[in-house]
Amino acid sequence: MSQSDTDFLQEVADSDYKYGFVTDIEADTVPKGLNEAVIRLISEKKEEPEWMLERRLKAFRHWLTLQEKDKYPRWAHIKYPDVDFQNISYYSAPNNKPKYESLDEVDPELLETFSKLGISLEEQKRLTGVAVDIVMDSVSVATTFSDQLAELGIIFCSFGEAVEKHPELIKKYMGSVVPYTDNFYACLNSAVFSDGSFCYIPKGVRCPMELSTYFRINEAGTGQFERTLIIAEEGSYVSYLEGCTAPMRDENQMHAAIVEIIAHKDAEVKYSTIQNWYPGNEEGKGGIYNFVTKRGICAGDNAKISWTQLETGSAITWKYPSVILKGDHSVGEFYSVAFTKGKQQADTGTKMIHLGKNTRSTIISKGISAGNSQNSYRGLVKVNAKAEGARNFSQCDSMLLGDRCGAHTFPYLEIENPTAQVEHEATTSKVGEDQIFYCNQRGIGEEEAIKLIVNGFCKDILAKLPMEFAIEAQKLLAIELEGSVG
Amino acid sequence: MLEIKDLHASIEDMQILKGLNLTVNPGEVHAIMGPNGSGKSTLASVLAGREDYEVTNGSISFMGEDLLEMEPDERALAGIFLAFQYPVELPGVSMSNFLKQAINAKREHLGQDPITAAEFMKLMKEKAELVHLNPDLKRRSVNEGFSGGEKKRNEIFQMALLEPQLAILDETDSGLDIDALRIVSDGVNQLRSADRGFVVITHYQRLLDYIVPDIVHVLLDGRIVRSGDKDLALQLEEKGYDWIKDDVLV
Amino acid sequence: MTTIESPHRVEDRISELYSMLDGHTLNGNSAALKNLRKKAIEAFAAQGLPTRKTEAWKYTPVEKKLSVDHTVYHENRPLPLSKEEAHAFLVPGIDAYLAVTVNGKYIAELSNIEGLPNGTVFTPIDQASGSLGDLLVSRLDTQSDSSKSPFVALNTAFLKDGLVLHVPAKVHVDKPIYVLHLFDTDAHTIVQPRMLCVAERESEVTLIEQYVSLNEASHFINVVSEWAVSQQATFKHYQIQDLNTASTAVFNQYAYQEQHSYFATHTSTLKGGLIRNNLEIVPDAEECESHLLGFLLGSGTMHVDNHTLVDHKKPNCFSNELYKNILDDQSTGVFNGKVFVHQDAQKINAYQSNKSITLTNKARMYSKPELEIYADDVRCSHGATTGQLDAEALFYLRSRGLSQKQARSILLKAFAHDVIDAIEFEPLRDYVDSRLLESL
Repeated sequence: MSQSDTDFLQEVADSDYKYGFVTDIEADTVPKGLNEAVIRLISEKKEEPEWMLERRLKAFRHWLTLQEKDKYPRWAHIKYPDVDFQNISYYSAPNNKPKYESLDEVDPELLETFSKLGISLEEQKRLTGVAVDIVMDSVSVATTFSDQLAELGIIFCSFGEAVEKHPELIKKYMGSVVPYTDNFYACLNSAVFSDGSFCYIPKGVRCPMELSTYFRINEAGTGQFERTLIIAEEGSYVSYLEGCTAPMRDENQMHAAIVEIIAHKDAEVKYSTIQNWYPGNEEGKGGIYNFVTKRGICAGDNAKISWTQLETGSAITWKYPSVILKGDHSVGEFYSVAFTKGKQQADTGTKMIHLGKNTRSTIISKGISAGNSQNSYRGLVKVNAKAEGARNFSQCDSMLLGDRCGAHTFPYLEIENPTAQVEHEATTSKVGEDQIFYCNQRGIGEEEAIKLIVNGFCKDILAKLPMEFAIEAQKLLAIELEGSVG
Repeated sequence: MLEIKDLHASIEDMQILKGLNLTVNPGEVHAIMGPNGSGKSTLASVLAGREDYEVTNGSISFMGEDLLEMEPDERALAGIFLAFQYPVELPGVSMSNFLKQAINAKREHLGQDPITAAEFMKLMKEKAELVHLNPDLKRRSVNEGFSGGEKKRNEIFQMALLEPQLAILDETDSGLDIDALRIVSDGVNQLRSADRGFVVITHYQRLLDYIVPDIVHVLLDGRIVRSGDKDLALQLEEKGYDWIKDDVLV
Repeated sequence: MTTIESPHRVEDRISELYSMLDGHTLNGNSAALKNLRKKAIEAFAAQGLPTRKTEAWKYTPVEKKLSVDHTVYHENRPLPLSKEEAHAFLVPGIDAYLAVTVNGKYIAELSNIEGLPNGTVFTPIDQASGSLGDLLVSRLDTQSDSSKSPFVALNTAFLKDGLVLHVPAKVHVDKPIYVLHLFDTDAHTIVQPRMLCVAERESEVTLIEQYVSLNEASHFINVVSEWAVSQQATFKHYQIQDLNTASTAVFNQYAYQEQHSYFATHTSTLKGGLIRNNLEIVPDAEECESHLLGFLLGSGTMHVDNHTLVDHKKPNCFSNELYKNILDDQSTGVFNGKVFVHQDAQKINAYQSNKSITLTNKARMYSKPELEIYADDVRCSHGATTGQLDAEALFYLRSRGLSQKQARSILLKAFAHDVIDAIEFEPLRDYVDSRLLESL
């Protein structure tokens, strides 16, 4: 590579995080530390019913045993100091408690924050018709379009509200896909989860708009423990968007969310994510630790769950959106672009668990590593002994920009049924010098050439994102998306 | 417009060009012929600024400027176009996005506004017809999955879009059947003009039946050993390169 | 023999056996060897045996195959067979220098290594004499590492009957060296063959190994092989694993490559109980070429785990890995291949492919092809597929009048042909081919 080429890569790798600012809102924060009293306090502040408190305490007690047994997960291809769980505050809510009739009542500074992020509610409402449920720190502060959705019987509200208004659904489905015993962070979340989103699509209803949530972490030293639960009844459809940006911080912030999706017979759920949390400074200091458990179950026949993600942020990403293919003929998909730079570490992938007959899964993962980052794909394809006729295709491509980063692939293929057809392909390469030269020869400079080529590398995945997200993706990758011309 | 003086160039310490001189004036079509390994493609690569090649001696001036001081993209913007012998595939990069960027880079260089969507579409359509390129190709990734003939036509199509001052065709005829060769040549001929120069590099005389050159040069062992009119190419075809080799040695 | 109380852990039992044998049966070794063995038993005790929770052994429950009832083979039993009987096991038609071992010990009267070219030494390690002997002993356990593998440590701790092969610089060994390893033990016996091969610069040698059980006893075979391939040397290795179904075998094989060297290893696993192949290649200089190939014919309750690492430390190297498995009955295949490219090891071309066919409902395949890459200018790819025979193709062949069996064998042969065809010796290739056909 030429000098200017390298310089550009350096520039990309060094480019500052644009969305780092702190909103000055008085927050209602629980003191640092974790014990039963803290859990009772969280539950009390959220005015939760007794059964929910019991669930939290049960999870917390289990978590304590995991701590004792040193079940702290260390298997991923990431390095970081052990988290001091007593040095984290487990609850914070903006002080001006929500419950607004309209957006006009919302704290103007908060609205300003969102507009800085380019996600102005007003504009979104007007232009895109997207209903937005914003999680500012831990509590929902605004929900729009709920009336319109309510007419169709769709429930889209904060998790807290769902606990209050739809306890039967929460009791039935919460923890049914990700039980509190699932893993260390899922267990922690089950004990201390703050808020999140709840979405219920009734039988036969096609949700007419993309449901969207923006998560932000805003309180210094505050952990975020969202919970999202999506239930798609028979024959329903929903496309759900989750996007994240976070302000710059000096100390590491931990995020351990849970997302559960239940897709019944013939239902389809599309879940798209852009994750762009603060990755830390050049030395990797101060970034977000992102330990997420996302899992969906295709509970009924012909159900379909599709995960699409663009991961550009966080100091550490530990995330494996998965699908349990229980229903016959059900379909699971995972499309991912993970871009790491600086000292970022990402260990991400998926699990496709084939249980039903003739189930199909597709995995396409594109990893781009720059700077001193480490980018790993880790994925499991398991075909159970009874899963006749299962099909899987996996493709994991890595691209390296620079010679101080790493790209790794750790696929696990466990095949227990002979009728399975499982294919896995992976490649690792760099941007070809001949490709850059070809662009140069057409008058396109190094920087633009690399953007073009990297963008081309990710194109298949970005095309899976809903349009407005694709635009966000374009901003985040600093890549011009394929133009609308032609 | 192009003046090459005593050009010496090497790749990985192997000397390929050993004192090449060539002058191209606007409106002229120069054919450069030579056997394999004589340095034809090296010349094309050096003109376009490929990094692997090191110029060890000599000079190249283009429109009065020192070409060797320029980066590959600066050369392109200054008006040099290379039709690649092996056009490169850019997976996932659509033709239209790629060409729009290329055109806008040129317009920016000339102090013009970016092309509008409508203008661009019109231009694409017009130029694609020149080389009988299927309009669907615009949506496909650059050169990816193109047949050999499509790739070569795509090069000429791009040349038509970018309207260079000097076009270098590096073995554009290789791998083409007679129909494709005719289409490509027709495209090139339509682009011939009084202010545009061409350097047509080829191994075979056949191409020169279609793109009739003003001057034919024979390149042997890194030097131009003979120049003449189009009849020189016919003589070469008839007698082979050995004839010149012997001649030169004598 | 003193009676010992049965300890609770296999590891403790092994350590006791070591104390018991050290200074007696294992006597006569050089001081350097003694020291090596002592370090090894300590390393073994420190590591312990892997369990299913050990990531690298996730799919292979080797710990269940060793119990406190096990003993380490140390006596010298009378020869269980004649020369003719031994040679009947050989793959016919291979012109080679022949060495036969029984339970890891070289048996001169069954072997014929006469006429090895100039200066080539092939001998039991305790008979390697003089400065060459010292040199070879000093190279033991330098490619393998007792501190990193409990099985290497276990082998090294009881090292006695190992073989060394030394090919001097520029010597081309004209015929392959063929080692037939025979096993004839009581149940619960650990047998530990060991071999060190050093191919000096610009030399060329081919080694063929064949591992055969003579009885149905549950021997636990723990092999350690070290292969050092010097500058511009060529080392080719073929092995046939043909053990009884009650046996357990752990093959720990290590190749170290110097500049511009060529190394190839080809394993045909035809029969056995539980087999684990640990294969590590370290191309530690530029311009190395490495080939790792494996063919597994799984039947019965065989469990075969191929665990490979190609550790690219230097730039401009090429490696190619191809493992093909046919899994019939209730057999289980495991493939865990890793290609590791270190920082600054640029211009590496590394390919890895694992393809499996499962023929029955009870057959299992676990595949984990990994890439771990820290250099940007590389071309690495891997692929893994698992499936069954193409029903459409089977039907097509049958519609042309072929029986189910014929059709199956045609398709399976087609599936395996590239990995079997990679065997350069025709008799060996024909032999593996015939074993495949027999099994159908």
